[in-house]
Amino acid sequence: MMKTSVTEENGMLIAAFEGRLDTAAAPQTEKDLAQVCENKDLDIVLDCTKLDYISSSGLRIFLSILKLAKANGRHVSVVGLNDDLRNVFSMTGFINLFDIK
Amino acid sequence: MNDVLTLDNDVQQVPQLAEFIDRVCETAGVDLPLTAKLNLAIEEAVVNVMDYAYPKDVKGEVRIEAIAEEACLTFVISDSGVAFDPTAKEDADTTLSLEERPIGGLGIFLVRQIMDSVAYERTDGKNVLTLKKNLK
Repeated sequence: MMKTSVTEENGMLIAAFEGRLDTAAAPQTEKDLAQVCENKDLDIVLDCTKLDYISSSGLRIFLSILKLAKANGRHVSVVGLNDDLRNVFSMTGFINLFDIK
Repeated sequence: MNDVLTLDNDVQQVPQLAEFIDRVCETAGVDLPLTAKLNLAIEEAVVNVMDYAYPKDVKGEVRIEAIAEEACLTFVISDSGVAFDPTAKEDADTTLSLEERPIGGLGIFLVRQIMDSVAYERTDGKNVLTLKKNLK
């Protein structure tokens, strides 16, 4: 099961993920994030505190958001990665692309 | 220990794969960090078959066999689709800058990163991908 919510807080867009972002869940997650992609001004926080798992289809979504945001001069940070997710970010070099807090 | 799961070429069945991998790993006494990595590697390999082995809208099956031995865990992923060797794909370059970095191409790269050996064979009209992870 995968849940994605987007809220605006302190002038930032917070996208919070909960569950397993696998290939089955990716298309719906992408739809749920439409608001994040359409916005042209606000910085973005990808909150992974409750994210248990991510596969390449989820990484693809994260990278698209980062590319889009950077093109508009917005900042993207990633918070709450567990050890397994951090390991995936490390293997793929995402650790160098994202501001991980 | 031997266990088999057969899925349709439908990515909506991926959660069943996760249950299968968790069960295999638990039975084989694999720790949780490695279980998480194996979940990822096997999902990427299986989704790759679902995406490429069969033409769009053609139903097909993907068979995943897990063989647990004392020092090694082996996954044999097979399908009856068109010949497709995922190991022929070049590795993703993870050192590229954000601007240069392509959006995709990480699936098979992750399989290679996580597994100790990845071998492809075409036999009897089937694609057979054998993934091994040393446990010691």
